[in-house]
Amino acid sequence: MSVTVSGVVEEPAAPTAGRRRSDFFYYGLRNKKLVFGLGLELLLVLFAIIGPMLAKYGPQTLTGAQLRHPGGTYWLGTDSLGEDVYSQLANGLRESYLVGALGAVSAAVVGMALGFTAGWRGGILDEVLQMITNIIVMLPSLVLLVVIGSYLNSRSVLFEGVFIGLTTWPWVARAVRAQTFSLRSREFVEMAKLSGRRPVEIIVRDIAPNMASYLFLVVILLFGSSMLLAASYDFLGLGPSDTVSLGWMMNQATQNAALLYREWWWFIPPGAVLTAMVAALLVANVGLDEVFNPKLRQQ
Amino acid sequence: MRRYLIRKLITYVLAFFVGVSIDWGIPHLIPGDPIQGLLSRFGQLDPASYTALYKTFAQSFGLNVPLWQQYLNFWKGLLTGNMGISISDDPNTVTSLVFGAMPYTLALLVPAVVLSYVVGNRLGAAAARRRLLDNTVLPLGYVFQAIPYPWLALVVPYLLGVVWHVFPTSGAYSETLLPAWNWTFIGSLLDHWFLPFLTVFIVSLGGWAIGMRNLVIYELENDSSRYLRALGASERVVRRYAYRSASLPQLSGLALALGVVIGGNIVTEIAFDYPGLGHLIFGAITSQDYFLLQGIFIFIVIGVLIANFLIDLVFITVDPRTRLSMQGAAA
Amino acid sequence: MRPTKGFTGRRWRTARYGTAALAVLTLGVASACSSGGSPSSTSTSSASASASASSSSAPVTTTSFPRNETLYTSGTSYSAPSNWNPLDTGNFATGTQGLIYEPLYLYDPIKKSYDPWLATGALNSGWHGSSYVINVRSGVKWSDGTALTGADVAYSINLAMKNSTDPYSTNVATVATATASGNTVTVTFKGTPGYTEFTDYLWRAPVLPEAVWSKLPASQIATFANTHPVGTGPMTLDTYNAQEVAYQTQPNWWATSALGLSFKFKYLVDVVNGSNDQELGQLTAGDIDWSNNFLPGINQLMSAVGGNSGYTLKTYYSAAPYMLSANTVWLEPNDSVAPMSNVNFRKAMAYALNPSAIAQTVYGGIAEAANPTGLLPGLSSFVNQGVVSADAPTYNTAKAKQYLAASGYHGQTITLQVPEGWSDWMDATTVIKDELQAVGINVSVIFPQANTRTANVDDGNYDLQLDNNAGADSTPWSYYQRVYALPIAKSQDSQLNWERINSPADWSLVQEAATVPLTDTAKLDSIYTQLETDFFAQEPVIPLWYNGAWFQGNTSVWSDYPASTGSDQNMPVMWAGYLGAMTTVYALADLRPTPAAAG
Repeated sequence: MSVTVSGVVEEPAAPTAGRRRSDFFYYGLRNKKLVFGLGLELLLVLFAIIGPMLAKYGPQTLTGAQLRHPGGTYWLGTDSLGEDVYSQLANGLRESYLVGALGAVSAAVVGMALGFTAGWRGGILDEVLQMITNIIVMLPSLVLLVVIGSYLNSRSVLFEGVFIGLTTWPWVARAVRAQTFSLRSREFVEMAKLSGRRPVEIIVRDIAPNMASYLFLVVILLFGSSMLLAASYDFLGLGPSDTVSLGWMMNQATQNAALLYREWWWFIPPGAVLTAMVAALLVANVGLDEVFNPKLRQQ
Repeated sequence: MRRYLIRKLITYVLAFFVGVSIDWGIPHLIPGDPIQGLLSRFGQLDPASYTALYKTFAQSFGLNVPLWQQYLNFWKGLLTGNMGISISDDPNTVTSLVFGAMPYTLALLVPAVVLSYVVGNRLGAAAARRRLLDNTVLPLGYVFQAIPYPWLALVVPYLLGVVWHVFPTSGAYSETLLPAWNWTFIGSLLDHWFLPFLTVFIVSLGGWAIGMRNLVIYELENDSSRYLRALGASERVVRRYAYRSASLPQLSGLALALGVVIGGNIVTEIAFDYPGLGHLIFGAITSQDYFLLQGIFIFIVIGVLIANFLIDLVFITVDPRTRLSMQGAAA
Repeated sequence: MRPTKGFTGRRWRTARYGTAALAVLTLGVASACSSGGSPSSTSTSSASASASASSSSAPVTTTSFPRNETLYTSGTSYSAPSNWNPLDTGNFATGTQGLIYEPLYLYDPIKKSYDPWLATGALNSGWHGSSYVINVRSGVKWSDGTALTGADVAYSINLAMKNSTDPYSTNVATVATATASGNTVTVTFKGTPGYTEFTDYLWRAPVLPEAVWSKLPASQIATFANTHPVGTGPMTLDTYNAQEVAYQTQPNWWATSALGLSFKFKYLVDVVNGSNDQELGQLTAGDIDWSNNFLPGINQLMSAVGGNSGYTLKTYYSAAPYMLSANTVWLEPNDSVAPMSNVNFRKAMAYALNPSAIAQTVYGGIAEAANPTGLLPGLSSFVNQGVVSADAPTYNTAKAKQYLAASGYHGQTITLQVPEGWSDWMDATTVIKDELQAVGINVSVIFPQANTRTANVDDGNYDLQLDNNAGADSTPWSYYQRVYALPIAKSQDSQLNWERINSPADWSLVQEAATVPLTDTAKLDSIYTQLETDFFAQEPVIPLWYNGAWFQGNTSVWSDYPASTGSDQNMPVMWAGYLGAMTTVYALADLRPTPAAAG
């Protein structure tokens, strides 16, 4: 896809791809934040892929060695049932990425579709969509999660990801709608309308590409927030019932009073790793924003 | 303008009805029977006792009438201020439970949100001006924003409570005390309040700081600021206008954050065993306490709607384009 | 997580700072205002059951509890105390039965005897032919000063007979009349007395003051809140709030002069439970003296005796298993659905499971593996060791596979469900699933919410689950009733025969046992031996481990807690069915203030 620098208005919808792309790489590689964030994230993704393969035990294998300190055979120690904490961490990472991706994609799809529609049409449709947004925000998503979850025999990663997406799309929709409003009154859009193009075409061909960088950043943020939200749900015991996850590890640690027994290896690693995953995303996000929008670069 | 306001009001009233109705319906969707759950705590009951007790409870909770009638009874109760008796905490009324838990939630979250807003904005604005500050505040802000809340709720009490014995790690006050207005009790309250407050504060801080920093940078570089500079205004004047512009979206964010405060922060209250509304909700879900859930939801709905309404008012006063586009797209 | 707001900021070029700030302020004030009044309960008139919730706070007579005169307990209540009706067995606050209301006899599960309490004379000597005579102790006063007489006892029995909302009505189902004459109550029966059930009544049921209960409408006897309880027990209700209930020792308790028992603490405060780790924190901090919480890992702290903060923790046993056993946990298959309906499949599961491994892994030494019959250690005299060694399943994977092959199981996945949040059970399912998987049974584990799980099991919509309803009793009768009760209803709300086994022969044996006098040990032994044999032949449920009578005592303020050695071998739990039925009250009377540390 060709990436346009938002804010540069006069270009028609399909600028010369070559020049833009090299611009992007030029600024991108010099942006410390982007490099650092992306680098760290890639490292963590690599760990999510390889890490579980390096584990000596499965995440829920009972080794018979309960509450061992880290070191020796058990790199990060074991929990109260004798399960290997390192293995749980590595597998939990995978699961977090999965949920994050699922949540981001679902929220992005729904949010963008509704946001574009509301921003383009305005009027009553916009009001209705705003009301729906309000209602979604009003619904206590935790309760919904419990209610819907109680009908399913077991909750899966797919369910959690899609659920998160379907409860967090409102802010995506709001942001997309706001942007669509402001772009809608631009001259090139007026021209497109005059030339008789259908609204869907206009949205897809003219408006969206001008928001592309913005949309990309929105998706990244969604990815991060889905991971954090999933961690909270898992911590409360409402996460997938058939896999280990980082939030689940913290939940187990709390149930077994790991704090009071000072079993730090059980609850510190999962949160630390998750913080790194999301922080890297955010930093990369900011770097990308600076690359796309020169005004945000340091004065 | 007036037409817009009326339309908005209608939307909100509609949203209130729909929201409250949905919230009424959701607890009923949970599979299982709350009275069955309640009776299972009674130990061994033979079928005759069971049926007799079941009937008694069903009647006292108004659950022996058809659903549509329960729905109407619910609205009747709402309008008279009687939200019924909690199933899980019989005979305490829903209102007493909710108002008993609310001070804890508000005392915890309102200061945390407001303080993190104030401090965050200051930090963000300062960071936008000075590069040195920016290089420390920004990364720190991202790390804070990236911290999963449950983790903070574990690490902070671990360090400050278990390892260094500075603060207690759970509860609202020490149990050896009875609630009373004396200094020992208030001291215990504050002692137990501090850690949950601190964790919410830290987690919210990053977002405000980063948001303000970006907004201020943008405002400092946009056309009106350039124009001001071109007119010869000092940097201080430019900054002042920039901050004002930047504060507005932050304020609407604050309004929304405060609006949902009533729902309580469930993870905080569970992690710290703090007896606020979030804790109440969580317990009510597990025991399928219809009335308690419905009662709490009403407050959440009201809070969110008020917040949204105020944001909309802000939109109108500030942005003429909003007003225009509300009146229909000129296709 | 708050997204950075930089992008939505582009629109507002001219800020009206004032309006916005005003809006925010209004919102802030509105939020604060809706918090409204004080935490005190406002009572709204409710049309029925809880009508007496008029004054929700007892007059606060104490504003603070001197630490060295107060015993803090926890581990019993999970919701705010609001009900002191001993007939509301699902809801009453800790201490209602035992501290305020008392039964006629107490059962000592360790000495296996019945101690006269509000009645005098040995329990079994009250039988005269097929009628029973209760000698009510004289000199006992209610807390309002009136005397306890036979009329109160007779009234309580008659109430249970007439009102089916009384939870003790099954116990007196065979009673014909109960008449009082002074301090003697004569109970006659219709046909053969239900000896076991009626004996249970004598040591479990509270004696109610006729003066209070006779004024209630019939529909409320088991549900009204009774916030000003009048009882014969050692304490009276002092004050309560959402977090705790406090009792004050009353000086005129009959047992002080009659039995030499008195409480050394002036107040007993029972605290509503928070989470496990909160309770552990409070126990180790010395805020709780007597804890009946399940605290996973507590055995680690037992080895830190005399460690940090100078506290010492005491449990009933000073070494593993540390705790007395309180109820049996079964792996409960749904016997009415394939493949669990096939007896070979159930046997395969019984041989595949290793209860000691499960108990050790999940509980780390504070719970014991169960006897194959499932009967609690206190009933070991009823266990026929010959039958056990001959027929009981053991941990033997080879045999398990044999039985599995003979069962016609063709590899389908069955579900094992335990309630979400019951962490030790959730942990146990990991081990159970592994052990079953090792012989070839495919299990998937699910964690429904507690109410959903109750509904599922009641309605028979489950494959495997865990059940720990089989609690402590003075005879095995209630245990086998729980296993074999018939008929099987569409919704097994009573939770008896939750596994839906249909064995009429065994059920009639159980019913027969109910009609055998407890002194006829030979007859009872033969019936229970037969039941045990049949139990092993059918494996309707698979006993795994015993849940403990969780008890941890902190000696920083009070000591002389019950222990397995010495003279204080009493039940250390305040739970309903133990306090006010078994020997907890002796344990409470034995507590002494810890002498201040010397030097």
